[in-house]
Amino acid sequence: MLELKGIYKWVNTGNHRTFLLKDVDMTVQAGEFISIMGPSGSGKSTLLNVIGMLDEFNEGEYIFMNESVHKLKEKQRSSLYKQYIGFVFQAYHLIDELTVYENIETPLIYQNIKTSERKAMVADILDRFQIVGKKDLFPTQLSGGQQQLVGIARALIANPKLLLADEPTGNLNSKQGEEIMNLFKQLNDEGMTIIQVTHSEKNAAYGSHIINLLDGMIQKN
Amino acid sequence: MFKHYFKTAVRNLGKSKVFSFINILGLTIGLTCCILMVLYIRHELSYDDFQKKGDRITRVIMEYSMGGSVMSGNFTSTKVAPAFKKNFPEVEQAVRMTNSNRIIHYDDKLFDEKSFMYADSTFFDIFSFKLLKGNPQYALSGPNVVVVTQSTSKKYFGNDDPVGKIIKVGSDETPYQVTGVIEDCPSNSQIKYDMLASFSSLGETQEETYWNANFTTYLLLKDKKDIASLQAKIPAFMKKEMAAVLSGNDYVTFNLEPFRSIHLHSPYEGFEPNSSITYIYIIGIVALLILAIACFTYVNLSTARSMERAKEVGIRKVSGAHKKQIFWQFIGESMILSVISLLLSFGLAALLLPSFNQLADRQLDLYSMFSPFIIGLAILIIICISLFAGSYPALILSGFQPVKVLKGAFKNTGSGLLLRKTLIVFQFAISAFLIVATFIIQNQLHFIQNKDLGFDREHIVVLPLDQKMRDNLNTIKTEFKTNPDVLSLAKASNEPINIISGFNMRRADQADKENISVNANVVDEDFIKTIGAKIIEGTDFTLQDSKDVLDAKEDDKVTYHFILNESAAKALGWTPEEAIGKKMYLGDQRPGLVKAVVKDFNFSSFHDPIKPLVLFNEGWGGNLLVKLSGKHLPQTLAFLESKWKELVPQRPFEYRFLDDDYNKLYQSEIRLGKVLNIFATIAILLAALGLFGLSAYTIQQRTKEIGIRKVLGASVPNVITLLSKDFLTLVIIASLIAFPIAWWAMNKWLEDFVYRVSIGWWIFLISGIIAVVISLLTVSFLAVKAAVANPVKSLRTE
Repeated sequence: MLELKGIYKWVNTGNHRTFLLKDVDMTVQAGEFISIMGPSGSGKSTLLNVIGMLDEFNEGEYIFMNESVHKLKEKQRSSLYKQYIGFVFQAYHLIDELTVYENIETPLIYQNIKTSERKAMVADILDRFQIVGKKDLFPTQLSGGQQQLVGIARALIANPKLLLADEPTGNLNSKQGEEIMNLFKQLNDEGMTIIQVTHSEKNAAYGSHIINLLDGMIQKN
Repeated sequence: MFKHYFKTAVRNLGKSKVFSFINILGLTIGLTCCILMVLYIRHELSYDDFQKKGDRITRVIMEYSMGGSVMSGNFTSTKVAPAFKKNFPEVEQAVRMTNSNRIIHYDDKLFDEKSFMYADSTFFDIFSFKLLKGNPQYALSGPNVVVVTQSTSKKYFGNDDPVGKIIKVGSDETPYQVTGVIEDCPSNSQIKYDMLASFSSLGETQEETYWNANFTTYLLLKDKKDIASLQAKIPAFMKKEMAAVLSGNDYVTFNLEPFRSIHLHSPYEGFEPNSSITYIYIIGIVALLILAIACFTYVNLSTARSMERAKEVGIRKVSGAHKKQIFWQFIGESMILSVISLLLSFGLAALLLPSFNQLADRQLDLYSMFSPFIIGLAILIIICISLFAGSYPALILSGFQPVKVLKGAFKNTGSGLLLRKTLIVFQFAISAFLIVATFIIQNQLHFIQNKDLGFDREHIVVLPLDQKMRDNLNTIKTEFKTNPDVLSLAKASNEPINIISGFNMRRADQADKENISVNANVVDEDFIKTIGAKIIEGTDFTLQDSKDVLDAKEDDKVTYHFILNESAAKALGWTPEEAIGKKMYLGDQRPGLVKAVVKDFNFSSFHDPIKPLVLFNEGWGGNLLVKLSGKHLPQTLAFLESKWKELVPQRPFEYRFLDDDYNKLYQSEIRLGKVLNIFATIAILLAALGLFGLSAYTIQQRTKEIGIRKVLGASVPNVITLLSKDFLTLVIIASLIAFPIAWWAMNKWLEDFVYRVSIGWWIFLISGIIAVVISLLTVSFLAVKAAVANPVKSLRTE
């Protein structure tokens, strides 16, 4: 599905160059569930953002669904990403001013999907996640686990091929975390490709494959 | 999509109440000012537009020179209209008009009509006033017929048909027949009347002369382009006409003024006071500045709040939003805000319209506020504001990098900060400018009110004086003086506050050609005493001095008696001492001796220097000045009225206070002062409002810093200083920018006055202090709250 070849990313501070990613090679097949692990500052989130096209890299090649991402223009990249990628955040990042329903609906609006169709799609996913009763509540009225559930629903609403999750359980207690991870597992079983960043060995174990990062480099086991 | 944005926008506005309130309040006030000003300006610009032939109508201005001094005015004699129509093919039609006060009797109704207009029957050929009843061809032909306006008709006759009714006009109760009903004059008409009588009713005043110029003449030209060619012909024509009566360099001529430009551009009043185009510009600019202040507040608050909105933008972008989509979302938000403000401001403007009318001395109606033009303009303004005020924040917000804002590494950009500071400086510079301007205008108005004119204008009542009364003047004076609160009475042709009659004078040993132009006033022996002027040399007029002139027979060689002011003595080459007893001429026909020299006093507005002045007596003069003690004023006035009815039954009792007439000289300055007072207050309030909002956000952002500083031992005053310092610096910079500009602009304004205040440094000091104190109060209100807060709390939430 995607392939990273010799990815480098750095920042210059004065004369000093700090590498965030260093010679990262990585291949992800459709249907995989990959966990990226590593200590703080090892570049996990940066790697995830590069994969999610939220962040640029300085050197290397990135091929996503047979497209060379590094050669694409901003607009093409954005449409590619809109179509195939869903994002889940540690801090949920729901829009406080919108209800559960509207939060989930937002990506569809930006994909110019008709109102009636949107309604059906949102209703569908609310049903699937069993949060129909919460659809008119605002994020602040929900527990952390419920908020993350909405966050995942929003990430999935546009039927992405790849789900990227940045410490999705980081702000949750263990029971809520477990529920989320089970949900991920279930999604993966249904064929969704998932890449998650996590600190927890236990969560990493849900994945089919673990990548360890240290100082921007993938550690070979 | 639109619905979605709308929803987000409304919820956002509801969520940040302070922000929304400040913005809506600011914009509402700004827009209200604008709406009222646009109404006013539009009304002024639309003056006389309804006259269908307006571009072909001209007003005739008389210009004449006697002995070197040139005079001109909006007056003409009765002969101009017929003579011009007969001799110039360009003139299609002409009308003579004059306005007067008349007492009207009808049944038991008695009214004092202030706008009783006389006009030739050609009136209807020239002007577009619509006659609702009656025949325009006959309505004003023949003497003693009158057309009444709709509302006047209602006042007198209720719902009855007025045509054919007889009203009694004037103190002699001349019967006039009502021949028609005319629509009320539009408020944007320079010609206003309640009753319109035929010109021939004036009877004997229709003399065949170019003198006795007491009427206004309008000409209707065949083509609007004829005005220049006609103008060119007039001087030669008049030279021929006046050849028999004028000699030397003296002349009489007439100038043509386009009718539609009179209200805003003419120095000569119409039948109501003119406005001025400069005044329109000032008002327009100030209203725009106020709107700008309100818009800047919006820009400032929006960019300052961008931190709060950053997360939302990040998420939207991650959800696939384009930069453009985000941009339009925020534009939409500013549009919603503007529309709310606009609706509110329409309401507010409607509410304020009566007070505004009073201030502007106009009758703008609510109806005109909802004209297509105003609505269209409002929509245009809304779009402009939305784009102007909304685009910068929208641009900033839509440019956010989602990775950065979602990870919380996002900081307000330096350039945004600079922009906010610039806008604050701008807002306060405008405010400081207006404060200084207001102070200087008030200072000058105070000076006008309180400067010693050289005579005492307090408690002087001005009554009209006609020939019948002049014949009887001594009796009238004696009768009035039986009341101890009536101190003295004097005749004067001009009120001492504004002596405009122009003459020329020369010493007896000077040749005719060496005439010096001079203002002169016909007065009697009580004038100096009545106005309290100071004689510095010689003695006051006596009753005998007056009699010398008034009782002289036709062929007697009269010797006049003159009182000069210092400037006149100087102009003739005399010191005050030397002047006494010297022989001189006022005009060619008035030889006389100088009786006294009076200390210079301001006999015209402060716009002009004190010029030479001669006081003398002759058999005319239309004002009776009555000096009162100032005690028991209502009783004294009642006494004057009852005496008047007894002594002067032929005229209604109408009085003015000299002081009020004095203030009228400065009407436009007084009004400008009032308007600027209001504008300056609004401007500083809006600027403070913006500052309040901005400091609220700044302080919110610095909560953690404040907490840390307090933990490290900063005291409450330390923190307040820290928070206020930045803003204060901006206000001071703003003042420093505004002051030189204000100084320059106000000097220009003051240059119009010969007698004026100097702009003292204290004005700038006080204005600066006001700006600083207001901003300090604004900021410290929030700063104190932040400073006394428990640091542990703020640190924990971070």
